[in-house]
Amino acid sequence: MLWTIDPGSDEPLFAQLVAQVHVALSRGTLSTGDRLPAARELAGSLDLNVHTVLRAYQELRDSGVIDLRRGRGAIVVGGTEHGHDHVRTTLAAYAAAARAARLSPEAASALLKEEMSR
Amino acid sequence: MTTTPAPGPRTTEPWKALARRSTLWSSAAGLLLLLGSTAVVLSWRNDLPDPIASHWGTGPSGAPNGFMSLTQWVTTLLAIGAACIVVFGAIGWFWGKAAMTRRISAAATVWIGGLLAVVQMAALASQRGLSDAAQAHDTSGWWLAASYVVPLVPAVAAAVLVPGDAPQSTTARVPANAARVALADGERAVWIRRTGGGPGLRVGAAAIVLMLVLAILTRMWGLLAVPVLLAVLFASMMVFEVRVDATGLAVRSAIGWPRTFIPADEVVAASSTTVHSFKEFGGWGWRVGRDGRVGIVPRSGEALLVERTGGRSLVVTVDDSETGAAVLNTLADRIRNG
Repeated sequence: MLWTIDPGSDEPLFAQLVAQVHVALSRGTLSTGDRLPAARELAGSLDLNVHTVLRAYQELRDSGVIDLRRGRGAIVVGGTEHGHDHVRTTLAAYAAAARAARLSPEAASALLKEEMSR
Repeated sequence: MTTTPAPGPRTTEPWKALARRSTLWSSAAGLLLLLGSTAVVLSWRNDLPDPIASHWGTGPSGAPNGFMSLTQWVTTLLAIGAACIVVFGAIGWFWGKAAMTRRISAAATVWIGGLLAVVQMAALASQRGLSDAAQAHDTSGWWLAASYVVPLVPAVAAAVLVPGDAPQSTTARVPANAARVALADGERAVWIRRTGGGPGLRVGAAAIVLMLVLAILTRMWGLLAVPVLLAVLFASMMVFEVRVDATGLAVRSAIGWPRTFIPADEVVAASSTTVHSFKEFGGWGWRVGRDGRVGIVPRSGEALLVERTGGRSLVVTVDDSETGAAVLNTLADRIRNG
């Protein structure tokens, strides 16, 4: 899968990695049983500190997305068969509504976060 | 294949001198192994029956069913060996633009010489002291296995001895019509994908299970070494990790070797293509195909094609190759941005 890091973004680097795994899962690019790259390899390629990648992996483990085992690497356990298709469809409708209401992406995601923390 | 403008003047082609040198010494080495074993079996002339057994039946008796004179045997093997060495050597001589092609060609010439050397020594050593070749018992399957495996040692040594390519960086931009990904300034990217499977892996898995069952049923525990060796062989030839990042393209087998790397400054263009491994490369795994093209083709189908400076190219069968090609084009072009 494609991993990107934007050092210019306000989002913390480890959170950018975590978000990409969630997106890949929802798209079905990643599914149960897939192995994530070794933390050291990912850190090397993205010019990150290895602890940044490990923090992202720990976060993913704590939310039940991956299984971290010494020697086995990071294995996806929380994938679904077809990704979260229905969530994405609903989300597209939400994005369209937000655009129609001339909400900025920041405002729209703030609303979404607020809704989800209820 | 798309045509790309030649990166430099075409007056000198430095790869040709390298290709000739490695082809000559590796062919000589392969031939020497064959000639050496021929000298050894000829020195056994007085101990061997005449005619000698040259072929064995497959039945439970394993009795010989083919006979020929020693001279005929030696000439036949030399002819087969010479023909194979010429064919494998020609690949390096005419198409050895890439070090990988020259390496595989050198390894193949040495390997075939070694294979025939072991075959003829094993087949004839067991007949020494016999008065009638009809008594010759079949050489065991162990020798057959050894004739394939033992020559791998000098073959790998030959591959290692072939010098790698000198760096050939380019400052030409990646063609504008090549696929790209949208990356912000300063945004970093890496694309990592495992590839493998295909008929090679299925055959390998079946062979490993079969040998395990056979070893357990016959209680010949030495046979357990075979599935272990097979597992290593298939892990090194049929499962790979492909990685594209700012440094370039890296392909590495599941056990870490063999591996290859194309630096970003040697990438002319990357694209997604379709490969028929058997038609274009004559099989599966890490191979040299038509025109000396290097292919890492554990299966047929979608593949990432990287055209490299010096007229070289590499093709790797991997899913989502469009993303891989786009990331490589984007990152390779970025370092030429001035």
